[in-house]
Amino acid sequence: MIHRTSVMPRTGERQFCTKPFCAKPIKAAAVLGVLLYLGICVATSAGAQTAPPAAHSTKPATSATTHAHTATSATAALGSPVKTYGSSSAPITMEVFSDYECPSCRNLFETTLRQMIPDYVASGKVYLIHRDYPLPMHKYGYEAARWLNAAARIGQFQAVEAALYDNQNAWAQDGSIEKYVAAAMSPAQFKRVQSQMRGCGFETAASVKPAALALALGGQAGETCSVDSFIEQDRALGNKIPVQSTPTYVITYKGNRLPAGSGIVSWPILKQFFDSLLSQ
Amino acid sequence: MSNDARRRWGRILLIVGRIALAAIFLSAAYAKMKPQPGMPWTHGSVHTSLSMFAMGVDSYQMLPPWAVSPFAHLLPPLEFLLGFWLLTGFGLRISGLVSTALICAFVAAMYSAYERGLTISCGCFGPGAQIGPKDLIRDGLLFLPLALAVTIGAFLIHRKSSAPSLPESAPSATHAD
Repeated sequence: MIHRTSVMPRTGERQFCTKPFCAKPIKAAAVLGVLLYLGICVATSAGAQTAPPAAHSTKPATSATTHAHTATSATAALGSPVKTYGSSSAPITMEVFSDYECPSCRNLFETTLRQMIPDYVASGKVYLIHRDYPLPMHKYGYEAARWLNAAARIGQFQAVEAALYDNQNAWAQDGSIEKYVAAAMSPAQFKRVQSQMRGCGFETAASVKPAALALALGGQAGETCSVDSFIEQDRALGNKIPVQSTPTYVITYKGNRLPAGSGIVSWPILKQFFDSLLSQ
Repeated sequence: MSNDARRRWGRILLIVGRIALAAIFLSAAYAKMKPQPGMPWTHGSVHTSLSMFAMGVDSYQMLPPWAVSPFAHLLPPLEFLLGFWLLTGFGLRISGLVSTALICAFVAAMYSAYERGLTISCGCFGPGAQIGPKDLIRDGLLFLPLALAVTIGAFLIHRKSSAPSLPESAPSATHAD
């Protein structure tokens, strides 16, 4: 009896697996593959969602895993967002901590930095770095910073920064940041930017939640959104200075960091200061 | 307390007051003119510091662009001279009046910036924290009363010392009458 019982499953197994390709293990492997893929998507950043949908992963488990790894590494390959103008070897470095919804930041950009970029930045005298410091008082400031960082990761920082400041009055009313970001680049580039914004929660009405949470939790809130970490890095740098308002600018000359300044400064006055520094 | 003792204490308080006022102006001038980190004390480095102060003046958005730089380059040396003038005690009524007027102007500028919602650095003692009630209280309720007290004290002492004293022969003359 014992012998017969032990034989029965093997007989049953043979009944289902008489063909060269066994149907049940393939389905099981596909399900496993899908689950593994979904797990990796959740575990890694939101950027992993740029990979084809999980439904396509009806291949064996190993193939699905490889695909997920490829997608993850493709997102990681984007690296940190580049939010700078000019050459890093310039003798003067100017870091500007700003909030895209702050009117003074817009004024500084429109009246001063826009004149400085083709002049002192282009001639290699100044290296301009943008730092994000969204303030909780601005409803869409954090979201704008997210879009900018996502765009900066694909090399579209300068176009998006100009678009955000040029249209600040419009998007600050209704939060239609996406529209102006899309207009600043090609559709293909915008798709790449959008893919990084998935999981950032901007589709919901509570777009200001991350900023408020980030402040309340000391910068821990942005972990679900792939670009939030870059904003929090900038904010941590700002807190060290400490930034008390935006815009705040920090000028470093030949490695010596000068005291931070804040508010709007006109280009002729800033230029005069740069000239006096360069004449040292 | 006799009149002499009162006058002596008045003079001592006036000296302390004008030294304190001088220290405020001297330290404010030094903070604005001192070279930036990593720079030696040279004419060029002082010019750089004054140019940096000009950026602070510009952020108040009160002066026309052409006036910002001359004002920023003149104010700290003026504060320096005023500090020394107060220390010497020479012409204290005038130096007191100039100090009071200057502090009044500073308070007005700060209040204006605060009212306009400008989140800028005061720049009073070099780069620092942004303008807030603390700065307004410091300048308006500490420095301004001090300057006023020194000025009023200088006028009072001058009036007492220059008042025509009664002729020494007068009592005897009355007595003779």
